[in-house]
Amino acid sequence: MTADDARAIRVEAVESLLVEKGLVDPAVVDRIVEHYETNVGPLNGAKVVARAWTDPAFRERLLANGTKAVAELGFGGPEGAMIVALENTPEVHNVVVCTLCSCYPWPVLGLPPTWYKSDAYRSRMVAEPRKLLGEMGLEVPTTKKVRVWDSSAEARYLVIPERPPGTDALGVEELAALVSRDSMIGVAVAKVPAP
Amino acid sequence: MTAQPEPMTGQATIDSDLEGTVSPPRDNGAIVFDAPWERRAFGLVLALCRDGQWEWEDFRQQLIVQIAADPERPYWESWAAALETVLSARSALLPVEVDERTDALLARPHGHDHRDDGHGHGHGH
Repeated sequence: MTADDARAIRVEAVESLLVEKGLVDPAVVDRIVEHYETNVGPLNGAKVVARAWTDPAFRERLLANGTKAVAELGFGGPEGAMIVALENTPEVHNVVVCTLCSCYPWPVLGLPPTWYKSDAYRSRMVAEPRKLLGEMGLEVPTTKKVRVWDSSAEARYLVIPERPPGTDALGVEELAALVSRDSMIGVAVAKVPAP
Repeated sequence: MTAQPEPMTGQATIDSDLEGTVSPPRDNGAIVFDAPWERRAFGLVLALCRDGQWEWEDFRQQLIVQIAADPERPYWESWAAALETVLSARSALLPVEVDERTDALLARPHGHDHRDDGHGHGHGH
C-alpha cells in the first residue's frame, strides 16, 4: 500500500465519521467540489481583466477595491475577501506569491496550480524573481522593475496584465481569451492575438 | 477603502453568475486534484466552512502551521493534516476515532495490506 493509499483511506475515515455525526452532507461536498472544478476558474479573472481594459471606470473601481469590483461581475466566496488588483505597466511588472501557504483569489482564478503551492516557488520568487520568471519562460526587460507581492488573508492579489498592442478592435470576449491564469499571477504576460 | 470580508456563505454569489453557459473544467481552469482523496479533503473543509461551523480563517491558520512544520510534504497532505487538527481542536473528531475507523477500513476484504505498513500517522501517544 502506498502512502497515497494510506492518506486516501484516512480521509475516507474522516468523511465517514463526519457524515455519521451529521456534521457534513456528502452531497454538499460533491456539489462544492464540482462547482470548483467546473465553474470557478481563471476565466472569471480573464473577464475581470478584459472589463478593466475596456472600461476605465471599472478599472478605477477594481484598483480601489478589488473584492467589491469583482462582485459586480458576480464573483465572490471563500478566499475572495480582500482581493487587491495590481496593474502591470511599461515600468513595473507585478508577480504574486504566498510565502506562508497558498493564499490566492479563488473566485477569480480558481484553485492555485501545484507549482504555486510548492516550496520552491514560494521561496525562490522572493529571493530571485527575475531568474525564476526566466525559467518559467518570462524574460522581464532590465528596464522594467519586478515587484513581488506576498499574498495573505489581508490581501489576495490579482495581476492585471498589460493589454497587448494591436487589440483595439477586439471585443471583451476576444480580449478575455488573451488573458491566461499565469498572466494574472504575473509569471506570464497576456497573449498577443494571432494576426 | 472599506473592504469587508465576505461571509463564508458567498457560494450563492458565485452561483448567481452561472445561468447560461457552464464551462467544462478545461475551459475555466486546470485540473488541480491529482487524486480523488485530495478532492474529498478539499470539499470537506469547504463544506464545514460553508455551514458556518468553521471560520475559513481558523483553518487557514492551521494550514500555515502544517505547511511550516513540514515544507517538503505535498500540499494536500498538509491540508488533510490541518483538517484533522482543527476537528480535533474542536473536539468534533478525535484522532483516536480516526485511527480506529482507518483500521476498520483497512480491514475490509479488498486485498489491502493490513497494519504492518502505512499505519504510522503520528498518533501522538
